[in-house]
Amino acid sequence: MTRQPGNRSLFINRELSWLAFNERVLDQASDPSTPLLERVKFASIAASNLDEFFMVRVAGLKESIEENRSTPDLSGMTPAEQLRSVGEAAHRFVERLYAVTVDELTPALAEHDIRVFAIDELTDERRASLAPFFRDSVLPVLTPLAIDVLRPFPRLASLSLNLAVLLEATAIDGPRRLAIVQVPSRLPRLVQVTVEGVNAFVLLEDLMRLHLPLLFPGQVVVATSAVRLSRDAELEFDDEGGHSQLERVERELRRRNISDVVRLEVEAKASPELVQLLCNQVEVTADDVYAVRGPLDLRFLMQLHDLPGHAELRYPPVQPVNPIEGAPNDMFAAIDEHDLLLHNPYDSYEPVVALLAQAAEDPDVLAIKQTLYRASPGSAIIASLRRAAENNKQVTVIVELTARFDEQRNINWARTLEEAGAHVVYGIRGYKVHAKICLIVRRTPYGLKRYVHLATGNYNERTARIYTDFGLITTSPIIAEDASAFFSALTGYSDPPRLKTLTMAPTGLRQRFLRLINRERRRAEAGQPAEIMAKMNSLIDREIIDALYAASREGVMIRLNVRGICALRPGVPGHSANIDVVSIVDRYLEHSRVYWFLNGGEEETYLSSADWMTRNFDKRIELLFPVERSEHKLRVATALRAMFKDNCNAYLLGADGVYRRRKAAKGEPPFRVQQVLQDEAGRSAALAREGAGVSFVPDSTERP
Amino acid sequence: MADTPQQTAARVVAVLDMGATAIRLVIAEISSSRRVSLLEEASRGVQLGRDTFSGGVIQPRTADAAFAALDGFRHVMDGYGVTEVRAVATSAVREARNGDLFLDRAQARSGITFDVINEAEETRLLFLAVRDSLKRHPAMRGAWTLLAEVGGGSTSLTVLRFGQPTRSGVYALGAVRLRQQLELRRYAQDLQVALLKRVISNVIEEIRLEIPLQRVTQIIGIGGDLRLAATHIHAQEGAESAREIPRDGVLAFTADIERLDEEGLVGRFRLPAVEADTLVPSMLVYSALLAETSARRVVVSGASLRSGLLIDLAQPKAQVAADDFEHQVLASAEALGHRFRFDRAHGRHVQGLATQLFDQLRDEHRLSNRERLLLQTAALLHDVGVHVSLRAHHKHSQYILSASQIFGLSGRETAVVANVARYHRGSRPQRTHLAYLELDQHERMLTNKLAALLRIANALDAEHLQKVREAKLVRDGATWVLELTGTGDITMEQIAATARTDMFIEVFGRELLIRTVGIGE
Repeated sequence: MTRQPGNRSLFINRELSWLAFNERVLDQASDPSTPLLERVKFASIAASNLDEFFMVRVAGLKESIEENRSTPDLSGMTPAEQLRSVGEAAHRFVERLYAVTVDELTPALAEHDIRVFAIDELTDERRASLAPFFRDSVLPVLTPLAIDVLRPFPRLASLSLNLAVLLEATAIDGPRRLAIVQVPSRLPRLVQVTVEGVNAFVLLEDLMRLHLPLLFPGQVVVATSAVRLSRDAELEFDDEGGHSQLERVERELRRRNISDVVRLEVEAKASPELVQLLCNQVEVTADDVYAVRGPLDLRFLMQLHDLPGHAELRYPPVQPVNPIEGAPNDMFAAIDEHDLLLHNPYDSYEPVVALLAQAAEDPDVLAIKQTLYRASPGSAIIASLRRAAENNKQVTVIVELTARFDEQRNINWARTLEEAGAHVVYGIRGYKVHAKICLIVRRTPYGLKRYVHLATGNYNERTARIYTDFGLITTSPIIAEDASAFFSALTGYSDPPRLKTLTMAPTGLRQRFLRLINRERRRAEAGQPAEIMAKMNSLIDREIIDALYAASREGVMIRLNVRGICALRPGVPGHSANIDVVSIVDRYLEHSRVYWFLNGGEEETYLSSADWMTRNFDKRIELLFPVERSEHKLRVATALRAMFKDNCNAYLLGADGVYRRRKAAKGEPPFRVQQVLQDEAGRSAALAREGAGVSFVPDSTERP
Repeated sequence: MADTPQQTAARVVAVLDMGATAIRLVIAEISSSRRVSLLEEASRGVQLGRDTFSGGVIQPRTADAAFAALDGFRHVMDGYGVTEVRAVATSAVREARNGDLFLDRAQARSGITFDVINEAEETRLLFLAVRDSLKRHPAMRGAWTLLAEVGGGSTSLTVLRFGQPTRSGVYALGAVRLRQQLELRRYAQDLQVALLKRVISNVIEEIRLEIPLQRVTQIIGIGGDLRLAATHIHAQEGAESAREIPRDGVLAFTADIERLDEEGLVGRFRLPAVEADTLVPSMLVYSALLAETSARRVVVSGASLRSGLLIDLAQPKAQVAADDFEHQVLASAEALGHRFRFDRAHGRHVQGLATQLFDQLRDEHRLSNRERLLLQTAALLHDVGVHVSLRAHHKHSQYILSASQIFGLSGRETAVVANVARYHRGSRPQRTHLAYLELDQHERMLTNKLAALLRIANALDAEHLQKVREAKLVRDGATWVLELTGTGDITMEQIAATARTDMFIEVFGRELLIRTVGIGE
């Protein structure tokens, strides 16, 4: 098959690419070299990821089909073709998810005396011991709903777990009847059973099943099944863990008189009659039914991961390195000495938290401005912002509100900031504020000084321990000037500025990247060495991919580290022969966005909040910022290069669109990049503590 | 901390500029060594020019937009603890019939006091900024360099000879003004351009009478439209710097964009609609000016009115005028005198005598060099009214000068000069003299002091023969004596001067005798 420019098979479908990513997550659950409880957690994450995928992406495809939209995607697939492929792949994925959970994880957990029993595995005595809990804590919150002519099928909440019950007809020749009991979401899914020396549990829905006669007295239960619906979320999820309501217009489009159920999950052992009844009630076809051979909604596995004890079954705890240990009392002084580059979670996030805490109390600080995309409500950063406002500093916070169910929580802390005197901006109409930036204005004996923190990840102390991100704290006046202009524009005090050093989406970020890519291409054309390295979460934007293909054709060496969706097809002769795509899935969620250009030897390194995704360029407020100090450039480039050397947790994307796990070649030592960076950070800090200074040794620039 | 913070070490200042299409803010820090570092620039599009140049009045909705912009700027300024603010408004407010009311409301709401500056002040500030941004540029050393700014309301032109401004003028060739006055929206694109070109060429005819465009060999251009053009001309040619654009590049770019309507411009340059509106008229003006000259390139300066204001703020007050602009002000005043065919020898002679008096009376009047310059200007030009009629020529001088632009003088200063010139003869200031009453108390006092000296100096050359060489003030108890040294018989001058001591006695509270002590060559 020949691939000409414009031939759509040069692109990979984004939904299938996403499913492939979730497969890589599931690989971690299935990998015996991963500690057991971490494997359990990865299974839970894969299940939870899939839930969101159905509610957003599958729902979107279904909607396109219902509206008779047949415009093909980049890869040339129509929505109908995509839905078919996605459905097949999702069914295969679910089978594998349960194979891993039931056949691999469950026996492995049992070996460590962690067991989830079926009710009939328990002795009568143990079963009886559960009765008081059921009577006192479960029964009072249960509401059985019988369905008949007068009482229609209830609107079950998306992703809620329910018990469907088929009841024998009350009259001879009468129909059998359906009833629904919701499994209380406020109670833990796993109910502890006392078994000597064992962490023993039963599932809450199984306990309910045992006591059904109490709920339907005098009636005959013919069959039962746990059941769960996934609906069109009307929400957008993203890899930041944030989710927000979709654009108003899009939502209006969805207000149609049809079922919004996109998936029905039942137990594999459920009676066909019961399943058919359910299908009729919620208007789904057999393709949308997922009959699973195990418990529904595997998110409960997280409860097992969090069990007390069993430290040996988890990743060994790591103490992040605080790069400014020794001078922790005065963050300003530490930063005055030199800019600070942080690589989380290897470096501690403490400097950011400490900087804001100090700024809040420092009488010389005049103003603090910050974006908050997704902050944890108990956040020390929010507390500092409140303190600063109470101390009469000018505090400006641009908050991105998240989904309905989160809204109240969000508004609460935002309100407390407002009450303390902060100026809170609740989002920007039409755009999501995704940039991560904080600006502190401080008076010094020598004039005003501005401290700017820019990062690839959110102001979230919790995720800073589990996501890899870069952050920069700088006093560069030129960056500060742009930062100030950025905030004035976002708060509506100024029209969008022409920035000097930073680049902003939606006003010019794509163009900037295209210029940077094309510059490498022109250098290659002129016979100079040309190279691009980039790391991101997803790569979808058509214009960027076309520019990368054009660069590859001219001989630019391009190495991409794309954790999740990648619509670019590497290794196609004549188009992308010079492009490698690697994905790392490991202990920490790879999250940093790094863009590196050889630029004829005058290397340029940038960090950004933005992926190379169309929505990041057009629908988000994003920032791109340069790394300018040579030791920082070296550190970022070294980390970036190391990503391509991983032979433990890295996958190489093939021209056939398949990800293959890289294996160490014979004689090649294992190289696990997250471990290497962890060790490196520890060594650097140890050296720094000894006052011996830090030196970075660049890894070989050879391609893996 | 060991060293205590010196809050006075650096000043955080804000300058605001209310123009025809936008209100702009710059916040900067001025160090104790007067170094200016930029902290932030902000801008909000407010279409004041659209209102003023069409209906002559700022409309309520536009005013509200302006106040909202100022509220925001106030907030930004507070975030820096700004201690000094200099805010100016130009033609869009200056020419609006409700401009004063509008600024008063702006002041009440935002606490920011805007000064309406006149064209000469605008020109001076731009020159300051350009001189600073192009310090060592050859264009600043050229024999005939034209400094041009095409703004929303008007076009400001200054001829620089070896870096010194000689002539300047401000002309009603603003991009917004042209658009509004011609009601361009009513016409198709090609007709719009034809209309614009015709009006521009008419005004250039006028400009030619005052400014020798054909001698100009270098052009320095200022303004956002030109900067944008420079960026694009250079992007096309792949050059690194957009600081200089070749003549052909400017002309070709203008010819290229004049075909584009607003939508086309927005699409091509990704501009806000407001900026797209002014790009074509601006570039047509620049191109028309360029075509008149033999300049081979346009030097694009990043300077602006705001950078001029910042430099002004950074310099100590007295230094601004005395050191920097004495020469330019007097050169500009002479150029003005020529236009009214003044008696240059008489003007200069009176100027010299007035200066002698001023300098000898420093302990009494306690005025600065800036006021000395005003006296010198008034002395030089006191007779321009003769051009209209010899009868009551002092009154003609007053209105001619008050309507003139003298490079380097603010509007208020020009008004003082006009009044001082008016009282070089005739009655003393009275409550019925409207131009005098328009001055504030300080300015009226100043007018009296300076006019008192000018009256005597002028009388000392009553015959326009420049016979009095020296006028030496001798203090003799309560009575002061002015001892004259001259060439030939100076009795007439002595008598004339004695008759003009009325104001002097009133102002300085001393009797003044005038004596001839020596006859020179």
